[in-house]
Amino acid sequence: MSKKYSTFITALFCLFIFGFGIALILSPSRDFSDQENRYLAQFKAPTLKTLRSGEFMEKFEDYVTDQFPLRDQWVQLKAYSERALGKQENNGVYFSPDGQTLFAHFTAPTREALEQKVGFVNKLGANLVVPVYFSLVPDKSFVLADLLPANAPSVDDGSTIEEAQALCGDKVTYIDLRTMLTGERDAFYRTDHHWTTMGARLAFQRLMSGMNLVRPIAAEDLNGLSYQGLPYTEVSGSFYGTTYSASGAGWVEPDSICTVIPEGGTKGNVTVTRYPEGAPIEGGLYYPEKLEVKDKYAYFLGGNQPLCVIKNPDAASGKLLVIRDSYADSLAPFLAEEFQEVHLFDLRYNNLSLKQYVADNGIDQVLVLYSAANFSTDQNLFKLGL
Amino acid sequence: MIFSSPYFLFLYFPIVLTLYYLSPLRWRNLVLLLANLVFYGWGEPVYVLIMFLSIAIDYSHGRIVTRCKAKGNDRGARLAVASSVVFNLLLLGFFKYYNFIAGSLAAVGLGFLPVIDSLPLPGGSIPFTLPIGISFYTFQTMSYTIDVYRGDARCQKNIVTFGAFVTLFPQLIAGPIIKYKDLDDQLERREHTFEKFASGVQRFTVGACKKVLLANALGPLWDVYLATPSSQLTTLGAWLGIAAFSLQLYFDFSGYSDMAIGLGRMLGFEFLENFNYPYLSKSASEFWRRWHISLGSWFREYLYFPLGGSRVSRGRMVFNLLVVWAATGIWHGASWNFLLWGLYWFVWITLEKLWLGKALDRIPGWLAHVYGIVIAVVGWAIFAVEDFSAMGPYLAAMFGFGAGALDADFLYYLRNYLPILAIAIATATPLGKSLWRRLPERARLAAFPVLMLAGLVFTTAYLVDGTYNPFLYFRF
Repeated sequence: MSKKYSTFITALFCLFIFGFGIALILSPSRDFSDQENRYLAQFKAPTLKTLRSGEFMEKFEDYVTDQFPLRDQWVQLKAYSERALGKQENNGVYFSPDGQTLFAHFTAPTREALEQKVGFVNKLGANLVVPVYFSLVPDKSFVLADLLPANAPSVDDGSTIEEAQALCGDKVTYIDLRTMLTGERDAFYRTDHHWTTMGARLAFQRLMSGMNLVRPIAAEDLNGLSYQGLPYTEVSGSFYGTTYSASGAGWVEPDSICTVIPEGGTKGNVTVTRYPEGAPIEGGLYYPEKLEVKDKYAYFLGGNQPLCVIKNPDAASGKLLVIRDSYADSLAPFLAEEFQEVHLFDLRYNNLSLKQYVADNGIDQVLVLYSAANFSTDQNLFKLGL
Repeated sequence: MIFSSPYFLFLYFPIVLTLYYLSPLRWRNLVLLLANLVFYGWGEPVYVLIMFLSIAIDYSHGRIVTRCKAKGNDRGARLAVASSVVFNLLLLGFFKYYNFIAGSLAAVGLGFLPVIDSLPLPGGSIPFTLPIGISFYTFQTMSYTIDVYRGDARCQKNIVTFGAFVTLFPQLIAGPIIKYKDLDDQLERREHTFEKFASGVQRFTVGACKKVLLANALGPLWDVYLATPSSQLTTLGAWLGIAAFSLQLYFDFSGYSDMAIGLGRMLGFEFLENFNYPYLSKSASEFWRRWHISLGSWFREYLYFPLGGSRVSRGRMVFNLLVVWAATGIWHGASWNFLLWGLYWFVWITLEKLWLGKALDRIPGWLAHVYGIVIAVVGWAIFAVEDFSAMGPYLAAMFGFGAGALDADFLYYLRNYLPILAIAIATATPLGKSLWRRLPERARLAAFPVLMLAGLVFTTAYLVDGTYNPFLYFRF
């Protein structure tokens, strides 16, 4: 290497490391990453204490990677590069062959953990006089297994649900959603773990028949494009879910969010009462302002809350208590068509006694509805048996 | 601090370069010393005290040895050397092996040594962790006093210069292990040229790519197989896992050495090579002439030769080899599996010295090559599976006593890692180098900046994404 050429190489290298270093210091810090759906680490000035304990250094390292100039682009470049190298996953997210459907890894619970968790459901059944139904939403990796990479290890093979069903005691009726959902392309968002309105609609059909409330699909709905003659309408075409956030898969097209039941229900008399912090607040089935933010799934019922009560005086059936996770949010408009009262109870944020709650509110039937993944990991299920 | 991190590459190093090159020549060792201390104190600030202690003790012992020798007091000089060796070994022994010894004694019912979890210090206790790189720098400073006594190295009278040597950040935490005598002249006077800087940039970039793009990419595959329960481990799966580890460790370690050599050049230093395509070896002995060269040479010079080396009776030679390989094993970590791993190499190397070596000379080259690779890779299984209850089944699975030949998981991982494995295997041979040398000069000049930038860009992308960037040398 000649001196001139070496100078050029030296300059190029220094430009790279100094350039990004200076840009990191000078560029304003972002609070929140839309792409990753999380808060980013911020710079915190060191103190003698944080320097001595090393806390400053740890936080500083997070700050540098989180606030690195063009962070989103770097993360995406890595995802592109992994895909180009033939990888069928990145950061714990599987790609479908066309790269457009993303699957989060699914970890099946151990036999002991599952026995314990289903045991809590059985205990709930034993504690209550009213019928208790139990249902697990199969993971997207089970429903759309044909889109998974061949032999992908961390997926739902249906055994969790099969075992859970076998473990159910005689006080609990299990409703299997697997057949109804399997292979339904539109049942899940491509970029999120949740089911779509279409998926919720199919599950609703199956749940009703499981609860002996048979409602045959109306002739005009048989094509799957409408509900009681009402068409599915797109409310957002730019939804990127949490699976996408983890994947860095910049090539994926956004999902669209559809609804079929209008605000207030098909008859217009549905009312929603939310209890975000204990006190009742009037709410709605849908929250259009959530379509403007990153976590658009919160469009349904407005996101996590300890308790939500939906009333429909025109409905045919009685009072249903749903012990649930977020999958119930997009199912709720359908349930509200069928039941005069739907109580959505989230064990994560609610410590009320279920036995007491059922008695106080005149509940007729209880549905424990979780996604298989959430059921496997939730640490609050013991409250079922209290 | 580690090199493969955005804060090192884009903040720490640019700042060090600026301060270093803006300072007059005679201040540069001081700038380096301060930079080194920040680098070292980054992970565990209190342990900088160990550095001060190490510098003070080894510096003063070097002076004492010199003074004694000048007065013809050989006994005093020997005593000083012994005292320095004892100090360094005690330092290493306490921080690295104390809990291992206490725990092992307790396991056989001799629990008189309490296990230490934290060090009580004024201003609050700190967790008792292994000071990063302690195995490297205690060996370096030990060799200093020994070499001063042997007359192989000059005594360094300037404590700043000596301190800069002890703490020299490019090679502080993961080697190469540099002997003072190899660096002496460079500490006093070194050349700073653009040619040297540019060749440092080249070397650093190659090292960063090896570490970040290859080692970090292969690590998760090994993690999968390490975590696979023995009852589910298949034969091909076990081989795939250990192949991934063999390549991961090589690219991690040699990538680190490359980065160290590159950073050294950018600061005007020239360090010795540490790796020379180890997986090309045709014997166990050859492997250790190509793998972690600076460690092997250290043990040869300061342990094997003083014991008499090979110029002794056959029985004594076997004993010498046993000592050296047991020490090499346990140097890699305070755990029984590392000792076992050292003894594993002792067996093969002794056999080769006794008769196997001659047999290997007679068989076809490719067969010797297979022998060399299999020995190394099987050894890595002993090295990497620290838990004895898992090591046996892992080795058993490798040799056909597993849960069948292969399963669906294996097919998935093979399909997903085949391209990167192929790239890694090719990179572990001199293929890339010889192709590069075959290019016409003009093409090389044109391609180099493009490849360098591409390497830096992809390295940065993987670092910023940062989901997998372990540091494998925390045990050493």
